[in-house]
Amino acid sequence: MTAGPVSGAADRERRREDLLRFLATIQRPGRVLATLEDDNGLVASGLIDSLAVLQIVVHLEETYGIDFAACGIESEELRSVSSILDLVDREAPAAR
Amino acid sequence: MIGRAPAASARSGATFTVRDVLRALPQFHEHHAVVAWWQARTGTLFAHFTPERRRMLLSVGGLGVLAGMVARALRKADGAGASVWPAVTVFVVVLAALYGCYLAAERFKSLPSVVQRRPQVALHLGFWGMLAVVWMLPRDGGAWAAAPVAMAMLLPFYLWRCGYLLKSGQRGRAAGTRFVDHLFYLSPVYGGTDTPVGKGFDHLVRHEAHSGEALARAQLAGVKLLLLALLWRIAEQVLAGVVYGDPKSPVTRLVGGYGAHLPRLEHLLAEQPHVPVLVAWGSLYLELVREVLDHAARGHVIVGMLRLLGFNVFRNTYKPLLAESVVDFWNRYYYYFKELLVDFFFYPTFARRFRRWPRMRIVTATFAAAFLGNMYYHSLAQDQLLLRGALWPALAVLRSRTFYCFLLAVGISVSMLREQRRRGTASAPGGLRRAGRIACVWTFFAIIHIWNVGGTASFARRTRFFASLFGLA
Repeated sequence: MTAGPVSGAADRERRREDLLRFLATIQRPGRVLATLEDDNGLVASGLIDSLAVLQIVVHLEETYGIDFAACGIESEELRSVSSILDLVDREAPAAR
Repeated sequence: MIGRAPAASARSGATFTVRDVLRALPQFHEHHAVVAWWQARTGTLFAHFTPERRRMLLSVGGLGVLAGMVARALRKADGAGASVWPAVTVFVVVLAALYGCYLAAERFKSLPSVVQRRPQVALHLGFWGMLAVVWMLPRDGGAWAAAPVAMAMLLPFYLWRCGYLLKSGQRGRAAGTRFVDHLFYLSPVYGGTDTPVGKGFDHLVRHEAHSGEALARAQLAGVKLLLLALLWRIAEQVLAGVVYGDPKSPVTRLVGGYGAHLPRLEHLLAEQPHVPVLVAWGSLYLELVREVLDHAARGHVIVGMLRLLGFNVFRNTYKPLLAESVVDFWNRYYYYFKELLVDFFFYPTFARRFRRWPRMRIVTATFAAAFLGNMYYHSLAQDQLLLRGALWPALAVLRSRTFYCFLLAVGISVSMLREQRRRGTASAPGGLRRAGRIACVWTFFAIIHIWNVGGTASFARRTRFFASLFGLA
Protein backbone atom coordinates (compact mmCIF):
# COMPACT_ATOMS: atom_id res chain seq x y z
CA MET A 1 0.00 0.00 0.00
CA THR A 2 2.79 2.43 0.77
CA ALA A 3 4.50 1.85 -2.58
CA GLY A 4 1.57 3.42 -4.47
CA PRO A 5 2.19 7.14 -3.84
CA VAL A 6 5.97 6.75 -4.17
CA SER A 7 5.59 4.92 -7.45
CA GLY A 8 3.00 7.51 -8.59
CA ALA A 9 5.37 10.37 -7.78
CA ALA A 10 8.21 8.65 -9.64
CA ASP A 11 5.96 8.08 -12.66
CA ARG A 12 4.88 11.70 -12.63
CA GLU A 13 8.52 12.85 -12.44
CA ARG A 14 9.39 10.58 -15.37
CA ARG A 15 6.48 11.98 -17.39
CA ARG A 16 7.53 15.50 -16.44
CA GLU A 17 11.03 14.91 -17.80
CA ASP A 18 9.58 13.41 -20.96
CA LEU A 19 7.30 16.43 -21.38
CA LEU A 20 10.17 18.90 -20.86
CA ARG A 21 12.23 17.03 -23.49
CA PHE A 22 9.31 17.30 -25.88
CA LEU A 23 8.75 21.00 -25.11
CA ALA A 24 12.41 21.63 -25.95
CA THR A 25 11.71 20.39 -29.49
CA ILE A 26 8.77 22.75 -30.09
CA GLN A 27 9.74 25.82 -28.08
CA ARG A 28 10.36 29.20 -29.63
CA PRO A 29 14.00 29.86 -30.43
CA GLY A 30 15.89 31.87 -27.84
CA ARG A 31 13.63 31.00 -24.89
CA VAL A 32 15.05 29.33 -21.78
CA LEU A 33 13.07 26.27 -20.79
CA ALA A 34 15.12 25.70 -17.63
CA THR A 35 13.73 28.83 -15.92
CA LEU A 36 10.13 27.80 -16.48
CA GLU A 37 8.27 26.75 -13.34
CA ASP A 38 5.75 23.93 -13.58
CA ASP A 39 2.80 26.24 -12.98
CA ASN A 40 3.86 28.94 -15.47
CA GLY A 41 1.69 29.32 -18.54
CA LEU A 42 3.52 27.85 -21.54
CA VAL A 43 1.97 30.26 -24.03
CA ALA A 44 1.69 33.19 -21.60
CA SER A 45 5.40 32.92 -20.74
CA GLY A 46 6.26 33.02 -24.44
CA LEU A 47 7.95 29.60 -24.41
CA ILE A 48 5.63 28.27 -27.12
CA ASP A 49 3.03 29.82 -29.38
CA SER A 50 -0.60 28.80 -29.32
CA LEU A 51 -0.08 26.58 -32.39
CA ALA A 52 2.43 24.45 -30.54
CA VAL A 53 -0.40 23.45 -28.19
CA LEU A 54 -1.69 21.29 -31.05
CA GLN A 55 1.64 19.50 -31.15
CA ILE A 56 1.34 18.84 -27.42
CA VAL A 57 -2.09 17.30 -28.09
CA VAL A 58 -0.62 15.02 -30.77
CA HIS A 59 2.29 14.14 -28.46
CA LEU A 60 -0.08 13.17 -25.65
CA GLU A 61 -2.19 11.10 -28.04
CA GLU A 62 0.82 9.24 -29.39
CA THR A 63 2.79 8.83 -26.15
CA TYR A 64 0.06 8.18 -23.60
CA GLY A 65 -2.85 7.08 -25.79
CA ILE A 66 -5.09 9.87 -24.52
CA ASP A 67 -8.35 9.88 -26.48
CA PHE A 68 -9.19 13.56 -26.87
CA ALA A 69 -12.24 12.63 -28.93
CA ALA A 70 -13.68 11.23 -25.71
CA CYS A 71 -12.37 13.69 -23.11
CA GLY A 72 -12.24 16.84 -25.28
CA ILE A 73 -9.43 19.36 -25.62
CA GLU A 74 -9.48 22.07 -22.97
CA SER A 75 -7.00 24.93 -23.28
CA GLU A 76 -6.86 25.41 -19.49
CA GLU A 77 -5.62 21.82 -19.13
CA LEU A 78 -2.80 22.42 -21.60
CA ARG A 79 -1.63 25.74 -20.21
CA SER A 80 1.26 24.61 -18.00
CA VAL A 81 3.52 21.64 -17.29
CA SER A 82 1.63 20.81 -14.08
CA SER A 83 -1.81 21.04 -15.70
CA ILE A 84 -0.65 18.78 -18.57
CA LEU A 85 0.69 16.24 -16.06
CA ASP A 86 -2.64 16.35 -14.21
CA LEU A 87 -4.38 15.68 -17.51
CA VAL A 88 -2.10 12.71 -18.21
CA ASP A 89 -2.66 11.37 -14.67
CA ARG A 90 -6.40 11.53 -15.20
CA GLU A 91 -6.83 10.51 -18.84
CA ALA A 92 -3.92 8.34 -19.93
CA PRO A 93 -4.91 4.63 -19.87
CA ALA A 94 -1.38 3.65 -18.79
CA ALA A 95 -1.30 6.20 -15.97
CA ARG A 96 -4.57 5.18 -14.33
CA MET B 1 1.35 36.28 -26.18
CA ILE B 2 -1.46 38.57 -25.17
CA GLY B 3 -1.25 41.26 -22.55
CA ARG B 4 1.68 39.96 -20.57
CA ALA B 5 4.81 41.99 -20.59
CA PRO B 6 7.99 41.12 -18.80
CA ALA B 7 8.20 42.68 -15.38
CA ALA B 8 10.11 45.90 -15.26
CA SER B 9 13.44 45.34 -13.66
CA ALA B 10 13.61 46.93 -10.27
CA ARG B 11 16.57 49.19 -9.66
CA SER B 12 17.59 50.08 -6.21
CA GLY B 13 19.90 52.89 -5.35
CA ALA B 14 20.78 53.57 -8.97
CA THR B 15 20.34 56.86 -10.77
CA PHE B 16 17.64 56.96 -13.41
CA THR B 17 18.21 58.46 -16.83
CA VAL B 18 15.41 59.89 -18.98
CA ARG B 19 15.82 56.82 -21.18
CA ASP B 20 15.29 54.53 -18.17
CA VAL B 21 12.13 56.37 -17.24
CA LEU B 22 10.78 56.28 -20.79
CA ARG B 23 11.50 52.56 -21.00
CA ALA B 24 9.89 51.83 -17.63
CA LEU B 25 6.85 54.07 -18.18
CA PRO B 26 4.76 51.61 -20.25
CA GLN B 27 5.36 48.96 -17.58
CA PHE B 28 4.55 51.25 -14.62
CA HIS B 29 1.87 48.83 -13.43
CA GLU B 30 4.50 46.10 -12.88
CA HIS B 31 6.89 48.24 -10.86
CA HIS B 32 7.01 47.14 -7.21
CA ALA B 33 7.14 50.73 -5.90
CA VAL B 34 4.05 51.73 -7.89
CA VAL B 35 2.21 48.56 -6.80
CA ALA B 36 3.12 49.27 -3.15
CA TRP B 37 2.00 52.92 -3.52
CA TRP B 38 -1.35 51.88 -5.03
CA GLN B 39 -1.86 49.19 -2.40
CA ALA B 40 -1.13 51.66 0.42
CA ARG B 41 -3.76 54.06 -0.89
CA THR B 42 -6.49 51.63 -1.90
CA GLY B 43 -5.76 48.56 0.24
CA THR B 44 -7.97 49.62 3.17
CA LEU B 45 -10.85 50.39 0.86
CA PHE B 46 -10.65 47.07 -0.98
CA ALA B 47 -9.73 44.92 2.06
CA HIS B 48 -13.43 44.23 2.67
CA PHE B 49 -14.02 43.19 -0.92
CA THR B 50 -12.90 39.56 -0.84
CA PRO B 51 -13.21 37.64 -4.13
CA GLU B 52 -16.49 36.11 -2.87
CA ARG B 53 -17.93 39.51 -1.99
CA ARG B 54 -16.75 40.99 -5.26
CA ARG B 55 -18.52 38.22 -7.20
CA MET B 56 -21.66 38.80 -5.11
CA LEU B 57 -21.67 42.55 -5.81
CA LEU B 58 -20.95 41.98 -9.49
CA SER B 59 -23.84 39.53 -9.65
CA VAL B 60 -26.21 42.11 -8.14
CA GLY B 61 -24.97 44.54 -10.80
CA GLY B 62 -25.53 41.77 -13.37
CA LEU B 63 -29.22 41.68 -12.44
CA GLY B 64 -29.40 45.39 -13.30
CA VAL B 65 -27.68 44.72 -16.61
CA LEU B 66 -30.18 41.96 -17.37
CA ALA B 67 -33.10 44.29 -16.55
CA GLY B 68 -31.71 46.91 -18.94
CA MET B 69 -31.22 44.35 -21.70
CA VAL B 70 -34.77 43.04 -21.26
CA ALA B 71 -36.19 46.57 -21.53
CA ARG B 72 -34.20 47.24 -24.73
CA ALA B 73 -35.14 43.87 -26.27
CA LEU B 74 -38.84 44.45 -25.56
CA ARG B 75 -38.71 47.90 -27.15
CA LYS B 76 -37.05 46.35 -30.19
CA ALA B 77 -39.50 43.44 -30.24
CA ASP B 78 -42.26 45.95 -30.90
CA GLY B 79 -45.29 46.79 -28.82
CA ALA B 80 -44.24 45.96 -25.28
CA GLY B 81 -42.43 49.13 -24.35
CA ALA B 82 -45.15 50.48 -22.10
CA SER B 83 -46.06 47.28 -20.27
CA VAL B 84 -44.36 46.24 -17.04
CA TRP B 85 -45.57 42.67 -16.66
CA PRO B 86 -44.17 41.30 -19.95
CA ALA B 87 -40.83 42.85 -18.97
CA VAL B 88 -40.94 41.23 -15.51
CA THR B 89 -41.88 37.90 -17.11
CA VAL B 90 -39.00 38.03 -19.59
CA PHE B 91 -36.60 39.01 -16.80
CA VAL B 92 -37.72 36.09 -14.61
CA VAL B 93 -37.72 33.55 -17.46
CA VAL B 94 -34.22 34.54 -18.69
CA LEU B 95 -32.89 34.49 -15.12
CA ALA B 96 -34.54 31.08 -14.60
CA ALA B 97 -32.93 29.84 -17.84
CA LEU B 98 -29.51 31.02 -16.61
CA TYR B 99 -30.14 29.34 -13.26
CA GLY B 100 -31.19 26.15 -15.06
CA CYS B 101 -27.94 26.27 -17.01
CA TYR B 102 -26.02 26.71 -13.76
CA LEU B 103 -27.83 23.73 -12.21
CA ALA B 104 -27.02 21.64 -15.30
CA ALA B 105 -23.34 22.53 -14.95
CA GLU B 106 -23.24 22.10 -11.17
CA ARG B 107 -24.94 18.66 -11.36
CA PHE B 108 -23.43 17.70 -14.68
CA LYS B 109 -23.00 14.02 -13.75
CA SER B 110 -26.72 13.66 -13.20
CA LEU B 111 -27.65 14.90 -16.68
CA PRO B 112 -28.84 12.39 -19.31
CA SER B 113 -25.83 10.67 -20.88
CA VAL B 114 -26.59 12.08 -24.33
CA VAL B 115 -26.40 15.63 -22.92
CA GLN B 116 -23.22 14.78 -21.00
CA ARG B 117 -21.59 13.64 -24.23
CA ARG B 118 -22.66 16.69 -26.27
CA PRO B 119 -23.58 19.54 -23.89
CA GLN B 120 -22.91 22.27 -26.46
CA VAL B 121 -25.09 20.59 -29.08
CA ALA B 122 -27.86 20.25 -26.49
CA LEU B 123 -27.53 23.95 -25.60
CA HIS B 124 -27.76 25.07 -29.21
CA LEU B 125 -30.67 22.70 -29.92
CA GLY B 126 -32.44 24.35 -26.99
CA PHE B 127 -31.80 27.76 -28.57
CA TRP B 128 -33.15 26.66 -31.96
CA GLY B 129 -36.12 25.05 -30.21
CA MET B 130 -36.88 28.41 -28.62
CA LEU B 131 -36.64 30.07 -32.03
CA ALA B 132 -39.01 27.47 -33.51
CA VAL B 133 -41.58 28.35 -30.81
CA VAL B 134 -41.25 32.04 -31.74
CA TRP B 135 -41.79 31.21 -35.45
CA MET B 136 -45.10 29.55 -34.58
CA LEU B 137 -46.46 32.48 -32.57
CA PRO B 138 -48.77 35.07 -34.17
CA ARG B 139 -46.84 38.23 -35.10
CA ASP B 140 -49.51 40.73 -33.99
CA GLY B 141 -50.35 39.44 -30.57
CA GLY B 142 -49.56 42.66 -28.71
CA ALA B 143 -47.32 43.09 -25.69
CA TRP B 144 -47.40 39.47 -24.52
CA ALA B 145 -46.52 38.09 -27.97
CA ALA B 146 -43.44 40.31 -27.91
CA ALA B 147 -42.18 38.63 -24.74
CA PRO B 148 -40.93 35.36 -26.33
CA VAL B 149 -39.53 37.38 -29.24
CA ALA B 150 -37.55 39.52 -26.78
CA MET B 151 -36.34 36.37 -25.03
CA ALA B 152 -35.14 34.88 -28.32
CA MET B 153 -33.37 38.17 -29.12
CA LEU B 154 -31.50 38.05 -25.84
CA LEU B 155 -30.38 34.44 -26.14
CA PRO B 156 -27.37 34.87 -28.50
CA PHE B 157 -25.80 37.11 -25.83
CA TYR B 158 -26.03 34.32 -23.24
CA LEU B 159 -25.48 31.36 -25.56
CA TRP B 160 -21.68 31.33 -25.58
CA ARG B 161 -21.46 32.34 -21.92
CA CYS B 162 -23.69 29.40 -21.01
CA GLY B 163 -21.50 27.30 -23.31
CA TYR B 164 -18.46 28.12 -21.15
CA LEU B 165 -20.51 27.37 -18.02
CA LEU B 166 -21.40 23.91 -19.38
CA LYS B 167 -17.75 23.32 -20.27
CA SER B 168 -16.86 24.04 -16.62
CA GLY B 169 -19.57 21.58 -15.61
CA GLN B 170 -18.23 18.97 -18.01
CA ARG B 171 -14.82 19.25 -16.33
CA GLY B 172 -16.36 19.00 -12.87
CA ARG B 173 -15.25 22.52 -11.97
CA ALA B 174 -18.76 23.89 -11.44
CA ALA B 175 -19.55 21.32 -8.74
CA GLY B 176 -19.92 22.99 -5.35
CA THR B 177 -20.05 26.51 -6.78
CA ARG B 178 -22.83 29.02 -6.13
CA PHE B 179 -25.05 30.73 -8.72
CA VAL B 180 -23.40 34.09 -7.91
CA ASP B 181 -20.04 32.54 -8.87
CA HIS B 182 -21.39 32.43 -12.43
CA LEU B 183 -24.01 35.17 -12.73
CA PHE B 184 -21.34 37.89 -12.71
CA TYR B 185 -19.93 36.75 -16.09
CA LEU B 186 -23.23 35.48 -17.53
CA SER B 187 -24.62 39.02 -17.16
CA PRO B 188 -21.48 41.15 -17.03
CA VAL B 189 -21.48 44.69 -15.64
CA TYR B 190 -18.18 45.28 -17.45
CA GLY B 191 -19.96 45.14 -20.79
CA GLY B 192 -19.33 43.16 -23.92
CA THR B 193 -20.91 41.72 -27.01
CA ASP B 194 -22.10 38.18 -27.73
CA THR B 195 -18.42 37.24 -27.35
CA PRO B 196 -17.64 36.63 -23.67
CA VAL B 197 -14.58 38.75 -22.94
CA GLY B 198 -12.71 36.99 -20.12
CA LYS B 199 -14.20 33.67 -21.32
CA GLY B 200 -15.97 31.76 -18.54
CA PHE B 201 -15.65 30.61 -14.98
CA ASP B 202 -12.44 28.54 -15.33
CA HIS B 203 -10.49 31.30 -17.05
CA LEU B 204 -11.74 34.13 -14.83
CA VAL B 205 -11.11 32.25 -11.60
CA ARG B 206 -7.58 31.38 -12.72
CA HIS B 207 -6.87 35.09 -13.17
CA GLU B 208 -8.76 36.34 -10.11
CA ALA B 209 -6.77 38.35 -7.55
CA HIS B 210 -6.69 36.63 -4.16
CA SER B 211 -4.37 38.97 -2.28
CA GLY B 212 -4.08 42.71 -1.78
CA GLU B 213 -0.94 42.86 -3.90
CA ALA B 214 -2.48 40.81 -6.74
CA LEU B 215 -5.54 43.08 -6.68
CA ALA B 216 -3.32 46.17 -6.83
CA ARG B 217 -1.41 44.70 -9.80
CA ALA B 218 -4.65 43.82 -11.59
CA GLN B 219 -6.10 47.28 -10.99
CA LEU B 220 -2.96 49.06 -12.18
CA ALA B 221 -2.96 46.88 -15.29
CA GLY B 222 -6.60 47.93 -15.72
CA VAL B 223 -5.72 51.62 -15.36
CA LYS B 224 -3.03 51.16 -18.01
CA LEU B 225 -5.54 49.61 -20.43
CA LEU B 226 -8.07 52.38 -19.84
CA LEU B 227 -5.35 54.97 -20.55
CA LEU B 228 -4.42 53.08 -23.71
CA ALA B 229 -8.09 53.01 -24.74
CA LEU B 230 -8.18 56.81 -24.35
CA LEU B 231 -4.99 57.14 -26.38
CA TRP B 232 -6.36 54.99 -29.22
CA ARG B 233 -9.61 57.01 -29.24
CA ILE B 234 -7.56 60.20 -29.60
CA ALA B 235 -5.53 58.57 -32.40
CA GLU B 236 -8.80 57.62 -34.09
CA GLN B 237 -9.99 61.22 -33.90
CA VAL B 238 -6.68 62.43 -35.36
CA LEU B 239 -7.09 59.92 -38.20
CA ALA B 240 -10.68 61.06 -38.74
CA GLY B 241 -9.69 64.74 -38.80
CA VAL B 242 -6.31 64.77 -40.53
CA VAL B 243 -6.78 61.91 -43.01
CA TYR B 244 -10.52 61.65 -43.67
CA GLY B 245 -11.55 65.26 -42.92
CA ASP B 246 -14.57 63.89 -41.05
CA PRO B 247 -16.80 66.89 -40.14
CA LYS B 248 -17.83 65.13 -36.91
CA SER B 249 -14.26 64.99 -35.64
CA PRO B 250 -13.10 67.89 -33.44
CA VAL B 251 -9.65 67.49 -35.00
CA THR B 252 -11.08 68.54 -38.38
CA ARG B 253 -12.00 71.91 -36.85
CA LEU B 254 -8.61 72.13 -35.14
CA VAL B 255 -6.73 71.73 -38.43
CA GLY B 256 -9.13 74.12 -40.13
CA GLY B 257 -10.37 71.49 -42.56
CA TYR B 258 -6.92 71.08 -44.13
CA GLY B 259 -6.97 67.28 -43.91
CA ALA B 260 -6.01 64.88 -46.70
CA HIS B 261 -9.73 64.14 -47.28
CA LEU B 262 -9.04 60.55 -48.23
CA PRO B 263 -12.31 58.62 -48.74
CA ARG B 264 -13.28 55.93 -46.24
CA LEU B 265 -13.33 52.39 -47.65
CA GLU B 266 -17.04 52.10 -46.89
CA HIS B 267 -17.67 55.21 -49.03
CA LEU B 268 -15.55 53.84 -51.88
CA LEU B 269 -17.48 50.57 -51.84
CA ALA B 270 -20.91 52.19 -51.65
CA GLU B 271 -20.48 54.91 -54.26
CA GLN B 272 -17.58 53.64 -56.34
CA PRO B 273 -16.19 57.09 -57.21
CA HIS B 274 -13.28 57.15 -59.65
CA VAL B 275 -10.20 57.60 -57.52
CA PRO B 276 -6.54 56.95 -58.37
CA VAL B 277 -5.40 53.41 -57.55
CA LEU B 278 -2.96 54.72 -54.96
CA VAL B 279 -5.77 56.51 -53.13
CA ALA B 280 -7.82 53.29 -53.14
CA TRP B 281 -4.89 51.33 -51.69
CA GLY B 282 -4.33 54.09 -49.11
CA SER B 283 -7.97 53.90 -48.03
CA LEU B 284 -7.71 50.14 -47.80
CA TYR B 285 -4.70 50.13 -45.47
CA LEU B 286 -5.97 53.05 -43.39
CA GLU B 287 -9.29 51.26 -42.89
CA LEU B 288 -7.35 48.37 -41.37
CA VAL B 289 -5.52 50.76 -39.04
CA ARG B 290 -8.76 52.53 -38.09
CA GLU B 291 -10.50 49.21 -37.47
CA VAL B 292 -7.68 47.98 -35.22
CA LEU B 293 -7.66 51.26 -33.25
CA ASP B 294 -11.43 51.14 -32.76
CA HIS B 295 -11.38 47.49 -31.85
CA ALA B 296 -8.49 47.87 -29.41
CA ALA B 297 -10.15 50.86 -27.70
CA ARG B 298 -13.42 48.96 -27.19
CA GLY B 299 -11.71 45.82 -25.94
CA HIS B 300 -9.37 47.74 -23.63
CA VAL B 301 -12.32 49.37 -21.86
CA ILE B 302 -13.95 45.99 -21.16
CA VAL B 303 -10.74 44.22 -20.12
CA GLY B 304 -9.65 47.35 -18.19
CA MET B 305 -12.90 47.21 -16.21
CA LEU B 306 -12.42 43.48 -15.60
CA ARG B 307 -8.93 44.13 -14.26
CA LEU B 308 -10.15 46.94 -12.00
CA LEU B 309 -12.63 44.41 -10.62
CA GLY B 310 -9.80 42.01 -9.83
CA PHE B 311 -9.62 39.73 -12.87
CA ASN B 312 -6.20 40.17 -14.45
CA VAL B 313 -7.12 38.55 -17.78
CA PHE B 314 -5.39 38.89 -21.14
CA ARG B 315 -6.04 41.82 -23.40
CA ASN B 316 -8.55 41.43 -26.21
CA THR B 317 -6.19 43.13 -28.67
CA TYR B 318 -2.41 43.05 -28.44
CA LYS B 319 -0.39 44.86 -31.14
CA PRO B 320 -1.90 43.04 -34.14
CA LEU B 321 -0.32 45.50 -36.57
CA LEU B 322 3.10 44.13 -35.55
CA ALA B 323 2.14 40.51 -36.31
CA GLU B 324 4.46 38.75 -38.73
CA SER B 325 2.09 36.00 -39.81
CA VAL B 326 -1.61 35.75 -40.59
CA VAL B 327 -2.24 33.34 -37.73
CA ASP B 328 -0.36 35.62 -35.32
CA PHE B 329 -2.50 38.61 -36.38
CA TRP B 330 -5.67 36.57 -35.86
CA ASN B 331 -4.44 35.60 -32.40
CA ARG B 332 -3.70 39.20 -31.43
CA TYR B 333 -6.59 41.05 -33.08
CA TYR B 334 -9.69 39.73 -31.32
CA TYR B 335 -8.41 37.28 -28.73
CA TYR B 336 -11.68 36.31 -27.05
CA PHE B 337 -13.54 35.76 -30.32
CA LYS B 338 -10.64 33.65 -31.54
CA GLU B 339 -10.75 31.71 -28.25
CA LEU B 340 -14.51 31.19 -28.66
CA LEU B 341 -13.98 29.74 -32.14
CA VAL B 342 -11.07 27.60 -30.91
CA ASP B 343 -12.90 26.29 -27.82
CA PHE B 344 -16.24 25.55 -29.47
CA PHE B 345 -15.25 24.65 -33.05
CA PHE B 346 -11.52 24.13 -33.59
CA TYR B 347 -10.67 21.81 -30.67
CA PRO B 348 -13.76 19.57 -31.01
CA THR B 349 -13.02 19.10 -34.72
CA PHE B 350 -9.28 18.65 -34.18
CA ALA B 351 -9.96 16.00 -31.51
CA ARG B 352 -12.29 13.95 -33.71
CA ARG B 353 -11.47 14.36 -37.40
CA PHE B 354 -8.57 13.15 -39.58
CA ARG B 355 -6.32 12.08 -36.73
CA ARG B 356 -4.09 10.12 -39.09
CA TRP B 357 -3.63 13.00 -41.55
CA PRO B 358 -1.94 15.88 -39.66
CA ARG B 359 -2.27 18.54 -42.34
CA MET B 360 -5.85 17.64 -43.20
CA ARG B 361 -6.57 17.64 -39.46
CA ILE B 362 -5.36 21.23 -39.06
CA VAL B 363 -7.07 22.51 -42.21
CA THR B 364 -10.40 20.87 -41.34
CA ALA B 365 -10.34 22.21 -37.78
CA THR B 366 -9.39 25.68 -39.05
CA PHE B 367 -12.28 25.71 -41.52
CA ALA B 368 -14.64 24.46 -38.80
CA ALA B 369 -13.62 27.47 -36.66
CA ALA B 370 -12.71 30.37 -38.97
CA PHE B 371 -15.34 29.57 -41.61
CA LEU B 372 -18.26 27.55 -40.20
CA GLY B 373 -18.02 28.76 -36.61
CA ASN B 374 -17.48 32.35 -37.68
CA MET B 375 -20.50 32.21 -40.02
CA TYR B 376 -22.69 30.51 -37.43
CA TYR B 377 -21.78 33.12 -34.81
CA HIS B 378 -22.61 36.00 -37.13
CA SER B 379 -25.79 34.40 -38.46
CA LEU B 380 -27.10 34.41 -34.88
CA ALA B 381 -26.58 38.18 -34.83
CA GLN B 382 -29.15 38.55 -37.64
CA ASP B 383 -31.84 38.43 -34.98
CA GLN B 384 -34.64 40.18 -36.88
CA LEU B 385 -34.40 37.75 -39.79
CA LEU B 386 -33.93 34.70 -37.58
CA LEU B 387 -36.96 35.64 -35.48
CA ARG B 388 -39.10 35.73 -38.61
CA GLY B 389 -37.77 32.32 -39.59
CA ALA B 390 -36.21 33.90 -42.69
CA LEU B 391 -33.15 31.65 -42.67
CA TRP B 392 -32.28 32.00 -46.35
CA PRO B 393 -32.46 35.84 -46.36
CA ALA B 394 -30.34 35.79 -43.17
CA LEU B 395 -27.67 33.83 -45.03
CA ALA B 396 -28.04 36.00 -48.15
CA VAL B 397 -27.30 39.11 -46.05
CA LEU B 398 -24.07 37.39 -45.05
CA ARG B 399 -22.96 36.59 -48.61
CA SER B 400 -19.99 38.97 -48.52
CA ARG B 401 -19.12 37.82 -45.05
CA THR B 402 -19.20 34.19 -46.23
CA PHE B 403 -16.52 35.00 -48.76
CA TYR B 404 -14.53 36.92 -46.11
CA CYS B 405 -14.69 33.92 -43.76
CA PHE B 406 -13.64 31.58 -46.56
CA LEU B 407 -10.58 33.74 -47.37
CA LEU B 408 -9.81 34.05 -43.66
CA ALA B 409 -9.93 30.27 -43.20
CA VAL B 410 -7.69 29.73 -46.24
CA GLY B 411 -5.21 32.35 -44.99
CA ILE B 412 -5.08 30.98 -41.45
CA SER B 413 -4.76 27.37 -42.71
CA VAL B 414 -1.83 28.23 -44.97
CA SER B 415 -0.21 30.32 -42.24
CA MET B 416 -0.63 27.56 -39.64
CA LEU B 417 0.87 24.92 -41.93
CA ARG B 418 3.81 27.24 -42.68
CA GLU B 419 4.36 27.95 -38.99
CA GLN B 420 4.19 24.24 -38.17
CA ARG B 421 6.77 23.47 -40.87
CA ARG B 422 9.27 26.05 -39.66
CA ARG B 423 8.79 25.41 -35.95
CA GLY B 424 11.96 25.79 -33.90
CA THR B 425 13.69 28.01 -36.45
CA ALA B 426 13.90 31.73 -35.93
CA SER B 427 12.43 34.11 -38.51
CA ALA B 428 14.92 35.54 -40.98
CA PRO B 429 16.69 38.42 -39.22
CA GLY B 430 16.78 42.02 -40.37
CA GLY B 431 14.48 44.99 -40.00
CA LEU B 432 13.61 45.09 -43.70
CA ARG B 433 12.62 41.42 -43.79
CA ARG B 434 10.50 41.88 -40.70
CA ALA B 435 8.86 44.95 -42.24
CA GLY B 436 8.19 42.85 -45.35
CA ARG B 437 6.49 40.12 -43.33
CA ILE B 438 4.37 42.70 -41.49
CA ALA B 439 3.43 44.37 -44.79
CA CYS B 440 2.26 41.01 -46.19
CA VAL B 441 0.03 40.49 -43.15
CA TRP B 442 -1.39 44.03 -43.46
CA THR B 443 -2.08 43.46 -47.15
CA PHE B 444 -3.86 40.15 -46.57
CA PHE B 445 -6.16 41.49 -43.85
CA ALA B 446 -6.74 44.84 -45.59
CA ILE B 447 -7.83 43.02 -48.77
CA ILE B 448 -10.11 40.44 -47.17
CA HIS B 449 -11.68 43.25 -45.15
CA ILE B 450 -13.22 44.49 -48.42
CA TRP B 451 -15.85 41.75 -47.97
CA ASN B 452 -16.24 42.36 -44.24
CA VAL B 453 -16.43 46.12 -43.83
CA GLY B 454 -19.88 47.46 -42.88
CA GLY B 455 -22.23 49.18 -45.27
CA THR B 456 -24.75 48.21 -47.90
CA ALA B 457 -22.37 47.48 -50.80
CA SER B 458 -23.23 44.25 -52.58
CA PHE B 459 -20.85 41.34 -53.04
CA ALA B 460 -20.44 42.25 -56.73
CA ARG B 461 -19.51 45.86 -55.90
CA ARG B 462 -16.96 44.76 -53.38
CA THR B 463 -15.47 42.33 -55.86
CA ARG B 464 -15.33 45.06 -58.57
CA PHE B 465 -13.51 47.31 -56.12
CA PHE B 466 -11.00 44.53 -55.44
CA ALA B 467 -10.39 44.17 -59.21
CA SER B 468 -9.98 47.95 -59.52
CA LEU B 469 -7.05 47.83 -57.09
CA PHE B 470 -5.13 46.03 -59.83
CA GLY B 471 -6.46 48.19 -62.65
CA LEU B 472 -8.88 45.46 -63.77
CA ALA B 473 -12.17 47.31 -63.42
